[in-house]
Amino acid sequence: MKNYTIILILLLAITACASAEDREDYSGDAIRTLLPFDAIPAITEPQFVSAGAAKLDPDAPVIGVTFNDESHAYSLYLLNGHEIVNDVVGGMNIATTW
Amino acid sequence: MYSRDLDGKTYTFGVSGKLWRDALLMYDHQTRSLWSHITGEAIQGPLKGKRLKLLVSMPQIAWKTWQLNYPGTRVLSVPTRGGMREEISRDSYAGYHASQDTGVSGMEYTDNRLPNKSLVIGVQIPARNGTTQFRAYPLTHFAETAVINDMLGEVPLLIFHDKASFATAVFKRNVGQDVRTFSSQASHFVEDNTGTRWNTVTGEATSGKDKGKRLERLPAVNIYWFAWARYYPETTIYSQ
Repeated sequence: MKNYTIILILLLAITACASAEDREDYSGDAIRTLLPFDAIPAITEPQFVSAGAAKLDPDAPVIGVTFNDESHAYSLYLLNGHEIVNDVVGGMNIATTW
Repeated sequence: MYSRDLDGKTYTFGVSGKLWRDALLMYDHQTRSLWSHITGEAIQGPLKGKRLKLLVSMPQIAWKTWQLNYPGTRVLSVPTRGGMREEISRDSYAGYHASQDTGVSGMEYTDNRLPNKSLVIGVQIPARNGTTQFRAYPLTHFAETAVINDMLGEVPLLIFHDKASFATAVFKRNVGQDVRTFSSQASHFVEDNTGTRWNTVTGEATSGKDKGKRLERLPAVNIYWFAWARYYPETTIYSQ
């Protein structure tokens, strides 16, 4: 899991003027809209390759999950652009979030 | 890492683009309720107040170590113009990680028990009375050892963090009723006070009297202190 603010730093360049007016009395608990729904595309039909076919740097950071003898790995840097993977691993319906 | 099953239904999630407490909110496609990805709780919409079940994972591990332990693993791959891709070789947020920035809201983070941008391992344990206990383990504790033996409430905990690979794992450190004390071994291995050696990636004992047994893994996150403290202000901080 990552703090989602990370992606917002990148998006700030696009939306720099959006938060100026409500910043002064911002309580921290208000819900604010920075982007439209799905502007960051979550993955709903994930595709996978085998470990042997995966083109990953040996030291690349991944999230690893295993349920009922089935295992999935997700590159963290790849997840930066998607944030959520709706997946099924070993019969478990999971949301991998980053 | 959450279960998508709730009260007998299965949900799918997208990114809402909305911000709450300096973090983006997820939404579910079925009811468009808004969910905090940090707490797993719906904060607005028809499912407000519901909580997703937290699941265990390795929140971060080097690909080579994961592959070594799970050679049959599948790897997420996404279609791009140039074909399928498993990796982006650069962290788009490296600049953010290196900075003192704590978000875009401009809010002040006032819990100064630790520096805002210090990394901690965040652990939460349900207590008997229905409350939850939270504790942060600063990564600075792992400079000399990969292991912390701790008690959180009544639960004996093994906190593992390998500074070289950044791998993090949290387990209950008991085998049945027998509480063990662990020490670091090479790489991602630890050894307990009975001489049993354990693999922290799989949780399995690889030699010693409990060979083949598994420790119970608990959910854990690597997270910046300011965010952990913002969501869980009641958190305690581990100290030796």
